[in-house]
Amino acid sequence: MQRRTFGRLLAAGVLLAGTAFAAPSFAADKTITGGFDVGPGGFPGNFNPLAATAGFTWLSTYYEPLVIYSADLSKIEGDLASSYTVSPDQLTYTFRLAKANWHDGQPFTSADVKFTLALAMNAKTGSINAARLKDIDSVETPDPETAVIKLKAANGALLALLTQIMMLPEHALKDKDPASLATSTWWSTTPIGTGPFKWVKYVSDQYVELAASDNYRLGRPKVDHLIDRYFANPAAAVAALKAGEIQFTYVDADDAKTFKDDKQFQVIAGDSWVVNYIGFNEKVDLWKDKRVRQAVMYAIDRKSIIDSLYGGAAKLANCGYVAPQFVPEGLNDYAYDPEKAKSLLKEAGWDKINGDKPIPWVTYYNSPQVNNIMAAIQAMLGQVGINVQPRAVDTPTYNGIVMKADGNWADFPLVYAGLQNGPNPASLNQGLNAAQIPPAGANTMRVDMPDLTSALNAAMGETNADAVNAKWQAVCKVMNDELPWGTMWVASRYGVASSTLKDFVWTPAPAGGPFAAHPEKWDIAP
Amino acid sequence: MSLFVLRRIAIGIVMLFALSVLVFVLLRLAPGDPIDAYINPSAPLSPADLATLRERLGLNASLPVQFFGWLRAALSGDFGYSIQRAGVPVLPLVIGRIGPTILLMFTGLAIAIALGIAAGIVGAVRRNSATDVGLSVAAFVGISSPAFLTALLGLYAFSVLLHWAPSGGMLTPGAAFSYGDLAAHLVLPAVLLAIGYAALIMRYMRASLLEVLNQDYVRTARAKGVREFWVIVKHAVRNALLPIITLIGSTIGIAIGGAIFIESVFNWPGMGLLLVNAVETRDYPVIMCATLLTGASVIVVNLLTDLTYAAVDPRIQVA
Repeated sequence: MQRRTFGRLLAAGVLLAGTAFAAPSFAADKTITGGFDVGPGGFPGNFNPLAATAGFTWLSTYYEPLVIYSADLSKIEGDLASSYTVSPDQLTYTFRLAKANWHDGQPFTSADVKFTLALAMNAKTGSINAARLKDIDSVETPDPETAVIKLKAANGALLALLTQIMMLPEHALKDKDPASLATSTWWSTTPIGTGPFKWVKYVSDQYVELAASDNYRLGRPKVDHLIDRYFANPAAAVAALKAGEIQFTYVDADDAKTFKDDKQFQVIAGDSWVVNYIGFNEKVDLWKDKRVRQAVMYAIDRKSIIDSLYGGAAKLANCGYVAPQFVPEGLNDYAYDPEKAKSLLKEAGWDKINGDKPIPWVTYYNSPQVNNIMAAIQAMLGQVGINVQPRAVDTPTYNGIVMKADGNWADFPLVYAGLQNGPNPASLNQGLNAAQIPPAGANTMRVDMPDLTSALNAAMGETNADAVNAKWQAVCKVMNDELPWGTMWVASRYGVASSTLKDFVWTPAPAGGPFAAHPEKWDIAP
Repeated sequence: MSLFVLRRIAIGIVMLFALSVLVFVLLRLAPGDPIDAYINPSAPLSPADLATLRERLGLNASLPVQFFGWLRAALSGDFGYSIQRAGVPVLPLVIGRIGPTILLMFTGLAIAIALGIAAGIVGAVRRNSATDVGLSVAAFVGISSPAFLTALLGLYAFSVLLHWAPSGGMLTPGAAFSYGDLAAHLVLPAVLLAIGYAALIMRYMRASLLEVLNQDYVRTARAKGVREFWVIVKHAVRNALLPIITLIGSTIGIAIGGAIFIESVFNWPGMGLLLVNAVETRDYPVIMCATLLTGASVIVVNLLTDLTYAAVDPRIQVA
């Protein structure tokens, strides 16, 4: 009897404790909470848009750029610029500005555009775009609604770059020393933007809270609060999503499968715009003979890897691109042919070049999926006599190894990496053009192929919009022939949203975009 | 006594200096620096751009210049600014994380001590019974389970499947502070943190109590007709607790290590999460400050343990 009574008391206690510990819910306000900075497009903890290398999905909920990519990343359209024109010589960009107000009620004008671009062109502010904006000659403000950017030389990448330059308020920042902005707490305490949401607070390493901006030019947002919750990794965000604590997060491919048939969630898939490749360090004699590089391609059954390890959610890349407008007909598809690979290695004298000595193969990818992919490739290359040894390191270690101008080539004779290949194709130039070999640029594999550099220069300098695709196709053809890299695939990336979200727009854009997500239209069912 | 304390403090200062040199050198020997951590390899910057950023952070100076510059400032209480958190001074940042870590650690330790001692007593008193065997098996499982595994399994079971507790964080984002909300977020990570220590304490307590129960003074107490309950509580347990005090004190450092895992899994905003983030982003000033404060706390706790030991057992004198 006593035991039974004790058991009942215990059960009651557990139930009471469960009730007491239930997480509190928001009252009348509509709130969307998400892991907006989870995954490769996020940059948690960075609030300075001048210094942002990613995180634009979140930044663009309270800041706005002049121009922005459409939600499908197919074109660039106006944002704070209601319209824009480009002169025939591609040297003058004229922006007509939308009638907008800062969150403190002050009007947004062309003076703010000039002020922002001056900050972005000044490396002392912590801007990472100072060098990329060096073609800008002047910014003119003929009237408060018009801003004119004049260039010293045509730059086909300017508009794409401007999508990531968030406009900043001159009236709030003009009295600050530009050099102090890099370490200013203004960004994380009292920032002012023109976006649909305005800043409320940042709780260190926990979350950022925004509130609807009542004076937003496209109408007050449908939800009252937007919260960006921070997670140590995507798996933790998935747990919070499944527990119903957040309504959206980026997820790894393996996690995306677990949501596939669950009606409580919607899986959003999209192109990663990152081409994965096996990088041959051209400073290393191992890869000088093109037949060896070809053998690597023939030895890898890329299609099987895509089918089995990506579940079909990746596109074969036979050059740096998979977007059809940049890929010409008649490329070598390097279909799996291990016998051909062996034959090519024999012709090249692989036994004398390296034989079966182990070759370090470095990557900064640390996901189980990539571990499996590299193990599969290791086995396939081993079958033809190339003995690679995968080594996964963290990002700073990888950058520390490959970015050194006088690096120790033996540390990274081979890498598995990725490089952004769009939406603007010019983003590949930095990894392949001989002029970009460190310290000048980020051509970390020291690719120095005159035909490729020539093709890249021709494409980068093309100002005729009708001819530019053909120039990038020429780049693709050279890549396919010369194999500066062993291009593998462009994988899909995923986000998962609760089915309670309405009109929610997200795409796995490189660096998080920005793209026209229109957060003011996002809604959540009660 | 005071000479002993002064000597231990002096040794502690030397150890902290050695620790700071060691951490500083190891950090610089590791490949990659805060700027390398800042850059996405899929959208890299040129080394020239990176050099500009390094110049701004003073990372281009020689190592001795960097170290003694840091040391001079640290001795005056200035631990610099976080590299990855623009404009945030390191010392308040790190000190602000001590509270959540202490809350988590001490709640976990309190649970572990209560469970471990109680289970140890039951195991010893009912030696070789089914209860004892069951508790021993549970303890071995607890000791053998790494903290990250326990944390992940607990997270999946109690947050994702059962929805009994929040999946992470210290407070519900956007909600007003309440102790209930804090407790709701604290209970699961604290219990999971406690599992390993409870198991360890249980094993030590059981062994210690079994040894004490065979002592002459316990036999004498029983012979005098003292009730078994009071024999255990008043005579045996108090003496059996001595090694447990040592155990708790000497495993504070390990407890901090366990807290790092738990904080990372549950995004608990303590020192562990701060350190993990700082190491991943090579945030040198934060790593240096957090390591020194952690080292100092271990030294202080060990000193306090020695003093507590002396206070509990009058036979022991520190000198």
